[in-house]
Parts: sequence; C-alpha cells; structure tokens
Amino acid sequence: MNKTAIIARSEYLRRVKSKMFLVSTFLAPVMLIALFGVSISVALLTQDGGARRIAIVDETGVLGERLAEHLPENYAAAVESAPLDSLRARVERGALDGYFVLPGGLLTGEAAATFYSAGGGGFSSQIRLESAVGDVVRRARLEAAGAPPELLDAAESDVSVRMVAFTETGEAADAAWLYAGLGYAMGFIIYVAMFVYGAMVMRGVIEEKTNRIVEIVASSARPFELMMGKVLGIGAVGLTQFVLWIVLALAGLAVFGAVVGGMVDPASLAGADTLGGAEELPFDPSLLSLSSVPFSLVVYFLLFFLGGYLLYGSLFAAIGSAVEQESDAQSLQMPILIPVILPALFLPFIADNPDAPASVVLSLVPFFSPILMVVRAAATAVPFWQMALSLVLLALAFVGTIWLASRIYRVGILMYGKKATFRDLARWVRTA
Amino acid sequence: MHPLVVENVTKRYGSFTAVDDVSFAAAPGRIFGVLGPNGAGKTSTIRMITFITTPDEGRITFGGQAVGPETQRRMGYLPEERGLYRKMKVGEQLVYLGQLKGMTTAAARDAARRWLDRFGARDWAAKRVDELSKGMQQKVQFIATILHDPQLLIFDEPFSGLDPINAALLRDIILELRAEGRTILFASHRMEQVEQLCDDIFLIANGREVLHGPLRDVKRSFGKNTVTVEFSGDDGFLDKLEERGAIRLRSRTAGHAEFRLLGETTARQVLETALTRVDDLYRFELNEPPLSEIFVMAVNGQRPEPAEPELAR
Repeated sequence: MNKTAIIARSEYLRRVKSKMFLVSTFLAPVMLIALFGVSISVALLTQDGGARRIAIVDETGVLGERLAEHLPENYAAAVESAPLDSLRARVERGALDGYFVLPGGLLTGEAAATFYSAGGGGFSSQIRLESAVGDVVRRARLEAAGAPPELLDAAESDVSVRMVAFTETGEAADAAWLYAGLGYAMGFIIYVAMFVYGAMVMRGVIEEKTNRIVEIVASSARPFELMMGKVLGIGAVGLTQFVLWIVLALAGLAVFGAVVGGMVDPASLAGADTLGGAEELPFDPSLLSLSSVPFSLVVYFLLFFLGGYLLYGSLFAAIGSAVEQESDAQSLQMPILIPVILPALFLPFIADNPDAPASVVLSLVPFFSPILMVVRAAATAVPFWQMALSLVLLALAFVGTIWLASRIYRVGILMYGKKATFRDLARWVRTA
Repeated sequence: MHPLVVENVTKRYGSFTAVDDVSFAAAPGRIFGVLGPNGAGKTSTIRMITFITTPDEGRITFGGQAVGPETQRRMGYLPEERGLYRKMKVGEQLVYLGQLKGMTTAAARDAARRWLDRFGARDWAAKRVDELSKGMQQKVQFIATILHDPQLLIFDEPFSGLDPINAALLRDIILELRAEGRTILFASHRMEQVEQLCDDIFLIANGREVLHGPLRDVKRSFGKNTVTVEFSGDDGFLDKLEERGAIRLRSRTAGHAEFRLLGETTARQVLETALTRVDDLYRFELNEPPLSEIFVMAVNGQRPEPAEPELAR
C-alpha cells in the first residue's frame, strides 16, 4: 500500500469511527427537514394571512358585484357607496385593507381601475388583483359586443401548462419544477459540503500542526502524500456520508410515499388529472421516488462534488498549514470563500434560466462549476461538450490548486510562531 | 554498515542561513551528539537528515544512499517538539506510524505489543492518547520512533519530562541500540547526559561547526585545568587565589569548590595554598573541564586553553 493510501485510510477510519460522524450523519437530514419545514410553513402562513377586507366603489354599475365574486377566496369584498374619504379613513384605521374605484370609463377603456391601500400589499397580491379586474372587464366587454355564452366560457376557462421533460428511460415525467428544485438542492448540498469537508481538512491539518505530530509523520512521508492522503481520506468520509444519506432518503421516501399513497384516493387523483381541475395537487406522489432521477444526474453530482471538494479541499489544507489555530485562519480563508459563495448567489438565476449564455459560461468556470453545472444538469439537458469541457477545466484547475497548495503546505506545516500573511504564502510558493 | 554522512550542507531560509557548510559523519555503533544553543541550526540539520527538508547545497547519505523516501524507512526520529493524535488509541497509533515506515499491519502490531510490554504498558494499547499522562505519552512517542527497527535513530531531548526510572529505562534501550550497531544521533542541551552517552560530538553555533570529534579528544584538547576540592575549615584561600587571578571559581558550597586554573597557575601551587589554610582535605582532583564549560567557551568563540601558549609562541 502506498503512503497516500495508508494516510487516507487512517484519516478515514479515524473519522468514520468517531461519535461525531454518527451524530452528524443522522442529525444533518433532521436539521435539513426541519429547515424546509420551517420555510414551507412560513410560506403557507404568509399566504393565508386571513381574508382581506376590500370595498368596491362601482361607477360602472355592472362590474362591482362581478368583481366581488371573482376575487380570490381570501378577499372579502363588498360593493359600497360610502364617500371616498370615509373609505380612506377606514383604511387608515385598519378597518379595511383597501378599496377599488372602478370609474365609468373602465368598460370602454377610457379610464383605469384604481386600488387604494395602506401598503402595496406585496407583488403577488398585485398580480392577483390585476388579473381579477382584467377577467371581469374582459367578460363585460365581450358581453357588450354580443359574444355568445359558449365563447365567454371558453375564454374564461383556466389555462394551465403541464411541464413534461423526457427522462432517460423514455418515460415522460411531470413537473420541471421538480428538476429545478432537485438541481437547486444538489447545488446547495455541494455548496454546503465544500465548506463542511473543506473545514474538516483544515481542522485536521491545524490539529496535526498544533499537536506537533506533523514532524513525526513528515519524517515518514512526503508532505504531498500527507496532504493528499488527508484530502482523499476526508473526501471518502464525505462520500460515505452521502451514500448513507441517499439510503436514508430512499427509506424515508418509501415510508412517506406509502403514507401519502394511503391518504390520497387514487380515483380522485386520476379525476383531478383529466379535468385539470380545481383540486390539482402540486405534485404527483408517484414522482416521489429517486428512480425518476436520471442516473447520469447522480453521476454528475458525485463527479462535481468530488471535483469541487478536491479543488477546495487542497486549498483549505494549505490555509490550515499556515496557521496554528482555527481563529487565525479566517482572514486567510477569504480568497477561498469568495469563489464558493459567488455561485451560490447565482444559483436561483441559473436554476430559472439554465440555458442562458451567462449560465453556460458560469457553469464552465472551474471554481463555480461544481455548484452551477449540477444545477444546470438537473434543470436542462446540458450538451455533452459543455459537460466534458467543464470537467476538463475543473480537473486542470484541480491540478493547479494542488500544486499551489502542496507548496504552501510543505513549508507551512513546519512554521511556528508568527502569523503568516498572504505575502508569506506567496514567498513559500516561490521558494518551496 | 550504515554510516550517516553529511557533506558541506547549507540550508537557507530567505536571507537567513540556518546551516552553513556543515560536514560530519556518524558511525554505526556509536552515539553522535549534536549540540548547540537554541537556533543554532540543530533542528534544521536534523530535518535535512530526515528528508523533511532538502539542503540548498551539499549532500547527505545514509549507508551510501542519498537520503530520501527510501532512507526514511530506515530512520526513526523523535523530535524535540513531538505529539500524537490525541483522539486515537495508542495501539492504532503505533500501527499507523509503523505502516508509514513501511511495516505490514501484522508486523507493526507485533512490534507495538513487544515494546509496550517492555515498558510495562501492555494495557495502554486500547487507551486513547488524551487519557495518558505526559510521561506516558512520551514513552509512546519513543516506541513509535524505534518500532520499525530503524538503523538510524535520531533522538532530540529524549529524556525531557521523564522521571528518573523511565529515563534510566530509555537510556538502557539507547545503549542496547548502540550495542546492536545502530547509528544514533543524540541532540540535547543537557550536557551531563551528553557526557554520559555520547561517543562523538558536533557543536554547532550560528549554523557553523564550532567543535567536532570524539568526546574524549575534544575534552582533552581543552586540557586538564579544572580542579575539584573537598575540605573542611576556612575557605578564605579560594578568595585569595581568585583575587590574585590564579583561578576562576565555577561553583562553591561549604566544603566544596570547583574552579579553573588560570594562566601559569599549577595544581601544585593551589594545593599548597589550600593545605596551609584548611583543617582537612578530603579530595583534590585535576580534570578536564566539564562539557557544559566547553560548550560555553566554544560558543563564545574561545579557543581551547592549551592552544593559546602554542599560538603565542
């Protein structure tokens, strides 16, 4: 067995056998679920913030009642004839959330409807109110033009778009949002993983240095072997953790699927599907199995996780070698943290526009690709050449950072006493 | 045979020259002492021998082979600043460090058990390092150094922090290793330990060689100029002699003194003076200076005493 393998094995076993590993492996999913649970319930709570009380001042004589009926369920609207300043006073008192003024010219397009409220009410409520007024006005105009009732119904029926993507198995699976969400989640996981395991590498190096064991092991193996052994060993810890999480997720989904499947009546589901009607579930429970995730996506995920981890892990090792305690590492970490944080900021944009030229370019940049390419791969069909180019660039960057890191590392691990600056690191790279 | 040969080795860190054109050879079956004040270049030299760093100039060979990963396997190094993996069990740790030296798992496990037995520490194998006392950890570190049966051993302050019983055990093992024909490098500030153990010494200061050779020859070159007396009665004669510039006192307690003869002063003159004053005389001994004195003189750039008259002539 070569020394890198011996070191990697020892680093791996030492961590996998620790209590911390067990705790973090089982606690991380719990925390993640709790996090999602909180954000989902926050979303639900803000959505159903109680019925909004709205008054409608109708100068057209026809639209008021119709609008009151047509507004979404969480609006309690009534046509009123009270003077505008008394309505305004009620809004200011908080007795009313807002009021519509529908001028007489609205039907002919000569005037616009106005909504008065204490605050903007949020973007989503603006869109909902606009479309409600639009629907009502359009119907009234069509009626005025003598349109038959069939046409009116046809014009009013809900239009929903089903998103269908082709999977590898040839089946069409529903819901692009699922893939965008999956990509988002994968990108986020890689982002977090690079921090967590990178920091683990750094702590390991600092520990060896402050423990003063480093001089003993350095007289047995080359610094490069020490660094690579540690990086690979901890990478294996990460992979193990991921495999365990995937197993846990599968088991969890099997249980969840059974529970949901038992609660939802398949007949009503089928009915809802054909009608495209009101009771549509936000997802099809049958999608809740990882079998619908393309195998290639899992491979890309693991490849980019490994590539990204190796790229940053070696740099974290270099930073660790230059300091004697973790708190000293913060200022030196900045140049590593920035390229990790930046793609996380692009994440929502890439998930929404996976094929935009900016997305393509960003997903090829080695320091960003581990996060961004995975998001794209989930959200769209990434051309093979882009995937290949991205991986090749990542590998080249990895060779570069390893070279750089090993030169810093081999000097750093033997340096005690004074705090290293970037200038010191640059000198070590030159002279090592 | 496995001599360690260091030839014209220089190591620079930026503009600072840590080791400046140093050469020496350490022979198998002997203990070679590397001495020097702090920052003199001892650790820098040892790191090059252990191939942790590489010299800028010169070369180092062990058994005729340039030092490198191959010679690392045949070396055991106990650094002055040493540690262990705190969370790891003693047994696992020893096996791991043995594997890094190229041992198989089974051989490393056997050797670890054997040495732990020798130190009466069989039941430590399952203990974590942070459960051990500092002295116990030190023994584990020592075992890690010799576990793989190396031909070259480098001990940097191996006795620091050990109680006398364990220090004696360690010394016995080091002497055994010498008897087995291994090459041993011993770095220390403790001159009495160096005097007890070393066959050859190499004194380095400011990165340069100051003194070098078999311990006995080095001491002889400084001449027999140190007197130890034990007596009872008035010790005023010591002050008299010192005032005259005949001697320089090194240590003085009631009824005991150690001093160096200065200039043309002879032992006989001192003895005669003493006899006229003291009540009784138990011991009067003329010797070479202790190594600690040689160390101080050499580092301060003083030549061996007998050399002075020769130079003057």
